[in-house]
Amino acid sequence: MSNPRPQSPNMQNYRPQLTSVMSFGHRLSGSALVFFAFGLSAWLVAGAAGPLVFDDAQAVVHSIAGRVMLILASLAVFYHLCNGIRHLIWDSVHGFELRAIYAGGWAVVGASLFLTSALWIWVLA
Amino acid sequence: MIVESSEQVPRLKWPRRFPVPRDFGVAKNSRIIEGKSWPEPEGATRIATLRIYRYEPDNDGPPRIDTFAVDLDDCGPMLLDALIWIKSKVDSTLTFRRSCREGVCGSCAMTIDGTNWTACTRAMDELSEPSTIYPLANLPVIKDLVSDQTHLFAQHALTEPWLHTETPAPERERIQSVDQRRALDGSYECILCFCCTSGCPSHWWNGDRFLGPAALLTAWRWLADSRDEGRGERLDSLDDPFRLYRCHTILNCTRTCPRGLNPGKAIGEIKRMMLERGG
Repeated sequence: MSNPRPQSPNMQNYRPQLTSVMSFGHRLSGSALVFFAFGLSAWLVAGAAGPLVFDDAQAVVHSIAGRVMLILASLAVFYHLCNGIRHLIWDSVHGFELRAIYAGGWAVVGASLFLTSALWIWVLA
Repeated sequence: MIVESSEQVPRLKWPRRFPVPRDFGVAKNSRIIEGKSWPEPEGATRIATLRIYRYEPDNDGPPRIDTFAVDLDDCGPMLLDALIWIKSKVDSTLTFRRSCREGVCGSCAMTIDGTNWTACTRAMDELSEPSTIYPLANLPVIKDLVSDQTHLFAQHALTEPWLHTETPAPERERIQSVDQRRALDGSYECILCFCCTSGCPSHWWNGDRFLGPAALLTAWRWLADSRDEGRGERLDSLDDPFRLYRCHTILNCTRTCPRGLNPGKAIGEIKRMMLERGG
């Protein structure tokens, strides 16, 4: 064939909807949590390695970048947890009507933001 | 914010697209350029602007976006009426599929303002201004808004959408109670428009092996049919890492079905049936 057919755009044109955005967020938070787990074990190893190494690790954690990373990591934890429960509810074949999908979705977004801010207000206060 | 029915247009108009470059991961021959801007109709008071994907296989040009101004007082209320108006009064080369004009045949399925729907049931006043009209997402384009659905129909045929029986045919009907017949509600009404499959991100990434919501809804229609005796074989054919299990419950399918069906739920039921079987 001289001209292979062009393909119509998919993600380049399709509208982001609560469904696809939350699903992507679940995957993104899950991948981010892999790195967070890695960082957490590095921090624990630094703790076991003695006060000098641990002081360096704490300096990183208490820096502005470190705090931002921690806040984002806790957001990822809570979002992945709440959306994970939503996924488990779907696995039991409940909550598939559009109204439930959207209500549950916004509830998960609200719950993760609430839990993250509650945790940090409690920690920093 | 809480969508009750798939026919609702999204209230949040922003973000309109995912924040990726316009030609993100797009093959060279699929890159879209800005096309022609057609003149406004004279004496029109109410005008709608449609930006429509055009592609002519006969010319060697890339796909382009043409901008049309439609006189809303001169054509019917639906997007399909506007497309027919453009074809008859402005540019007769505009190509699209259409048949029933009432949302039961599935021919005019296309991506309208970034979501999939049938043009004949999308009212002009539900569109953005300007509105973008593209062929169904992630499919080879034959011409303009006509997409090549051969692969999707092949996936539908793979589910063997006919009654599998071993017992000999009875003299009259195979009897089914009212409740057994009700189990088919929500899956037999599929018009094979493929709005769902074309809007499924998992099908975008793995469409060669993942069957997609339309084919799986058909598979469920036969799995749920009390008269069907091939449940084991049907589940065997779906018992594969890709055919069924690339579904990650994204649920774009349920959001976009022009018939208000729920493929996501049907797929959840199939997964439960697989579990109960021990799969």
